[in-house]
Amino acid sequence: MFHWLEKHPFFFAVGVFLVISFAGLIEILPNFAQASRPVIGTTPYSTLELAGRHVYIKNSCNACHSQLVRPFKSETDRYGHYSLSGEYAYDRPFLWGSKRTGPDLWRVGNYRTTDWHENHMKDPAGVVPGSIMPAYRWMFTNNADIDTAFAEQLTVAQFFSVPYNKPVPMKDGSTTVVKMGSSVAEANALALAEAKLIAADMKDQDVKDAVANGQIPEIVALIAYLNSLK
Amino acid sequence: MNKLYLWGIIFTALMLLFTYMSVAGSEGGLNDDIVNILAIAGAVALVLISVFVVIKYVRQMQTDTADGQLADESWDGIGEYLNEVPKGWAIMFLLTMVWGMWYFTVGYPVNAYSQIGEYNEDTAAHNEKFNAQYASITGERLVEMGESVFLAECKICHGIAADGIDGKAANLNVRIEANVVKHVVENGSNNSLLGSEMPMPDRNGLFNNNTGALITDAEIDAVSAYVANGMSGAGADVFAGTCAACHGEDGKGMEYVAPSVATFTPELVTNILNHGKKGVIGEMPKFDRLNAKQKEAVGAYITSLSK
Repeated sequence: MFHWLEKHPFFFAVGVFLVISFAGLIEILPNFAQASRPVIGTTPYSTLELAGRHVYIKNSCNACHSQLVRPFKSETDRYGHYSLSGEYAYDRPFLWGSKRTGPDLWRVGNYRTTDWHENHMKDPAGVVPGSIMPAYRWMFTNNADIDTAFAEQLTVAQFFSVPYNKPVPMKDGSTTVVKMGSSVAEANALALAEAKLIAADMKDQDVKDAVANGQIPEIVALIAYLNSLK
Repeated sequence: MNKLYLWGIIFTALMLLFTYMSVAGSEGGLNDDIVNILAIAGAVALVLISVFVVIKYVRQMQTDTADGQLADESWDGIGEYLNEVPKGWAIMFLLTMVWGMWYFTVGYPVNAYSQIGEYNEDTAAHNEKFNAQYASITGERLVEMGESVFLAECKICHGIAADGIDGKAANLNVRIEANVVKHVVENGSNNSLLGSEMPMPDRNGLFNNNTGALITDAEIDAVSAYVANGMSGAGADVFAGTCAACHGEDGKGMEYVAPSVATFTPELVTNILNHGKKGVIGEMPKFDRLNAKQKEAVGAYITSLSK
């Protein structure tokens, strides 16, 4: 057979290709599948969090803030545990970024709270002297787009089997269920219920009134998203 | 003499001359500079070996004739001898196979570079250094360490001066402010403080032993002002009647029952760092990623602020 192959360079090349591809596949694929599986404790984004993620992207927060903690002592001291690939399983697309004009935000939910974000988005330099981050006051008046967030939820649930309405394992051994509405009205109701919890911790009376009236300002969705980054 | 040897000698002489000229002309020259002398020696060796090897093989090409048996196979007219494998080559080949097996099973898996491995080593080395240098510091140095941790982690909410930035966070220059006391008395509190299991009840569970009735709005205002004022002024009677049972008559708290409301204590601060806190000002996240010594230091620094 080798004699024959040596006389037929095309089939020889095909054979080489097959052997190397096979070796590559059995080496790369299992590891890749393992690493891209969600880490225990990683949950899909709720409707409100997803709407907040859209606000985050719309305002190009990712242009100045990365979402990837590298495995260096100086970074883990500041931001917490280094990022794991499976933690991004529900990020479409991931927002790693490579430019840090501001700090990394991948675990910001661990060390900042709703009221801090509220103060900070209104007047960054008021809480962080010398901060060059601009204020995002329009987020307190513009309403978040819940319908689009729900549309994304439906899509990823259907095409990527993102486990909405299904038990998701947590680190302490328990499970949690991230709910997704079955209609636009239900999705809006779920988002509003979540928004009320956020608004309760906020101080801005206009935002509180808006949420009480059934509206969801962008800031509420954004804070829900930032709080979910852990 | 063969023409080849003559050219070899001329070439060698020229190369040595160039070497000598370029080194002797350079800074330092040949005087007392070991690096230049080494370079000369190396250059001489290279020139001699090159000339020797070239002459050997040119001679071989001129005089050698091929012998041995040709294999049947012919690749487009190129044949192959059926010679024995050279011994040195065969030994190297077998050794390479042995090395390959070692590298595949032990060499690579055990010694392979890993970013996480390097991180773990860095962290272990850092922690060892930290423990060696700071594990036993006390007093002034502990306060200094607390200040630097505060400036890294806490100032973002509490401000550089620890004044809470106009009410955005707790003002740590005083133990507690009147609106905080009022909120806690009205709503109760359980911030897992000092290992106490029993939460502080809200106003519907707080009796004033002086009057035998539930605490009233006026009394709440009075006791809030009293506590915020550093345990002085009006309201002492309400504190004695309502709060002292758990917080102590001097407000310094009781172990496993209630924290001090008169002063900060390192234990109180460590507890809040471990569990976070939620009150009238807002929510504080927990900072349990600080190590035990850092928490103690922050406690010492904050305690030093309000003295």
